[in-house]
Amino acid sequence: MSLPRALENIRVVDFSWVRAGPWATRWLGALGAEVIKIEWPESERGRLPSSTTPQNLEVNLNTSGNFNDTNVNKKSLSLNVRSAKGLEIVKRLIDISDIVIENFSSRVLRNWGLGYDELCRIKPDIVYVSMSGYGHTGRNHSYTTFGPVAQAVSGLTYLSGLPDKLPAGWGWSYMDDTGGMYGAMCALTGLYHRNMTGRGQHIDLSQMVSSVPLNGPALLDFTVNGRGSLRAGFPPGNRAHWPGTALVNNYRGPTVAPHNAYRTHPGGYNDWCVIVCHSDEEWQRLVQVMDATSWASPEKFATVAGRLQHQEELDEKIEAWSMTQEKYALTERCQAAGVRALPVQSAEDRVEHDPQLHHRQMYQAMEHPALGLHKVQNAPFKFSATPASNHLPSPLIGQHTQEIVEGLLGYSHDELRAGFSDGTFWPTKRARFPYMEDMLQ
Amino acid sequence: MTDAATLPGPLAGLRVLELADEKGQFCGKLLGDLGADVVKIEPPGGEPNRHVGPFLDDIPHPERSLSFWHYNTSKRSITLHLATADGRQIFSRLAGTADVILETFRPGFLASLELGYESLREQNPRLIMCSLTPFGQTGPWRDYLSSDLLHMAAGGEMASCGYDEADVADAPPIAPGGGNAWHMGCHFAYMGIMAALVHRTVAGQGQYIDVSIHEACALTTEAAITNYVYRGEVLRRQTGRHHAAGATPRTQFRAKDGTYVCALVGGRLNPKFVRDLAELLDSYGMAGDLKDPKYQDQAFITANTSHIIDDLVADFIASLPAEEVYHAAQARGFTWGAVRAPEMLLDDGHLHDRGFWKQVEHPEIGRSFVYPGEAAIYNGSPWRISRRAPLVGEHNTEIFCDELGLSRGELLVLAENRAI
Repeated sequence: MSLPRALENIRVVDFSWVRAGPWATRWLGALGAEVIKIEWPESERGRLPSSTTPQNLEVNLNTSGNFNDTNVNKKSLSLNVRSAKGLEIVKRLIDISDIVIENFSSRVLRNWGLGYDELCRIKPDIVYVSMSGYGHTGRNHSYTTFGPVAQAVSGLTYLSGLPDKLPAGWGWSYMDDTGGMYGAMCALTGLYHRNMTGRGQHIDLSQMVSSVPLNGPALLDFTVNGRGSLRAGFPPGNRAHWPGTALVNNYRGPTVAPHNAYRTHPGGYNDWCVIVCHSDEEWQRLVQVMDATSWASPEKFATVAGRLQHQEELDEKIEAWSMTQEKYALTERCQAAGVRALPVQSAEDRVEHDPQLHHRQMYQAMEHPALGLHKVQNAPFKFSATPASNHLPSPLIGQHTQEIVEGLLGYSHDELRAGFSDGTFWPTKRARFPYMEDMLQ
Repeated sequence: MTDAATLPGPLAGLRVLELADEKGQFCGKLLGDLGADVVKIEPPGGEPNRHVGPFLDDIPHPERSLSFWHYNTSKRSITLHLATADGRQIFSRLAGTADVILETFRPGFLASLELGYESLREQNPRLIMCSLTPFGQTGPWRDYLSSDLLHMAAGGEMASCGYDEADVADAPPIAPGGGNAWHMGCHFAYMGIMAALVHRTVAGQGQYIDVSIHEACALTTEAAITNYVYRGEVLRRQTGRHHAAGATPRTQFRAKDGTYVCALVGGRLNPKFVRDLAELLDSYGMAGDLKDPKYQDQAFITANTSHIIDDLVADFIASLPAEEVYHAAQARGFTWGAVRAPEMLLDDGHLHDRGFWKQVEHPEIGRSFVYPGEAAIYNGSPWRISRRAPLVGEHNTEIFCDELGLSRGELLVLAENRAI
């Protein structure tokens, strides 16, 4: 007998698109909710444009690899919500659902006639999570974001980089990932509250605003001490402190050295390792691993103050050693001796070489009807009673239209056919996929 | 509708025991600020993160760590020495009153004290326990040491962050600051705990959750994994913008005030975008040749991409303060933003409109300070900071005596024997 799932019998109406919203509902699906993705090919963003379609496949609505990974565990209903008939159908769906979630601009759902007041009329205890860039309230609610813009405006970008250089920022939409986390967290919190009190609510999440508390210590350093982040030596790259500047905490934990990235053998693009010593004892262990008593024994390296003061020399000497070591071998030697070290890992490293992620089954192959067999990212939480799982590949667009319209909502087969003829379930002038023709048989 | 500000938070009535260091304290804050009664159990003398700066007025002291302040709002604190028989016995009694235990000890530590989930659930089958650890409870790296920097390396963050060769030659991969490895782990831990709580409202039973920070970080690099899985590509680092298989146009431009603007232009250049861009630039007299009808031809636009980005957009942004570019561009529908240092957020009108900044009282020093507020506005059960971070063992009497029923004499004996 299979184990129950945490969100058994929970249904989610998912209007989300692009990345942050779908990343939120991916996790609700992994936890067992029935996630119904409402899509329309003429205004689709997430399947296209695709830069992750395998080289041997045609780019179309069903061949984005990143869409697949972001939308596992969901069903797809293609529906023109901006038609009267489509709106009527989606209202019937909302009536038998628990959560409505979307990441449009702030007034879109209301303009469709699906504002929170209307959602409540349909389903009084609905949990409605809106995930717009700036939220639904506040003077800039109509501003738009992508991850990099939310990161820039909230201060996250500025905290990444070398001093006296441009901000390095984040090399991806961190706030699409993290905005997605908050979308799922808000939905679960609202759901728990509903189960306890019988009351739903509107949770007005903002991608930009949710980034701001992630800078908490830097913000308090300013509001409490008046010290801003626009200062010499900040941000300190990978170090806890930049040599030659005032000794202040740089918001990444204790101020120590060594605390840096070091090149490793054979010197390729991602052949780097990071090493951190949180105490003199850890430093002495590293000295043993490096077999470096000759250069490391002088008094200047014995104390954390000395190592911070002579950090340039320290880092040069550590790197001279690390360049003789392969990064996984260095990691094993250091960790066996109780020294904090791990390799910089590319995506290939994580999927192919990381023994821990392999052991924990983080990348499990799953068959997708258009993409074939590929590894999909797994959940980072292991539940004893209600395991999270990847149980459905991402849906083909409109793949579950018949199942939902006829099976769940109880419309007749003739009504389904009529809806395909009149442009409710698929644009009349757009070629249908073969599985849609099968639905109409 | 009821005035939301008077309502309890969505997690009101939940009792959480937090045995967490830097790895898990943010998860406790997320739960506490949403209304849970989070009891932080610290070793006698206080949790080591009280020694992490910056400190109030730069005076190091366990009650003056601003990092500790931020990550421990809306919690109560008791001290307990789990290695003593008294400590274990009291913890076991507390566990009988708890809905959730969040712990970040090394794998197996609580079980070695006979305080593992299997022991605790016998007296409290509704108990949910979440272990949030660097690598999870199993696997070859289970007992490896970690840090924020180590997680950003192995999780894949660093492989994606850095500089164009033209900006910083021979640059290392860069780990973004701010302790985000812990944030990533805590977001997933919060999600796991909430899922287990929702399940408990239906099934009545608790469960154990094993959350790995390494896995959380490895899941937080957007399309890096799928670029590899579906196309075999390993992406290159670029200044202030997305990793990519091949070089893409820059998105970060220096403004007149010396700060930067994130302006997304490359990859979006079509005739409509160029018309809108020409209007934006022209409103400051900076359109150059961009209003020329030849820019309505896609081939011409493509051939002049570098001119548009590196001359026109760059010169436009260089002529104005970053904040002005940000608001002028957004008003015309451009998804652009100013690259701000955190302190610049204090002047943000939008955040003020949302009531984002909170005054938090620190009664022991007779002062109050401004703290960052909520990611989301809950209209039926508000987020709030119910109290500043607790002092070490501030609630020992309240919890041990008033709630657990120990006498003041017993408390004395526990203190003298270093159990609390």
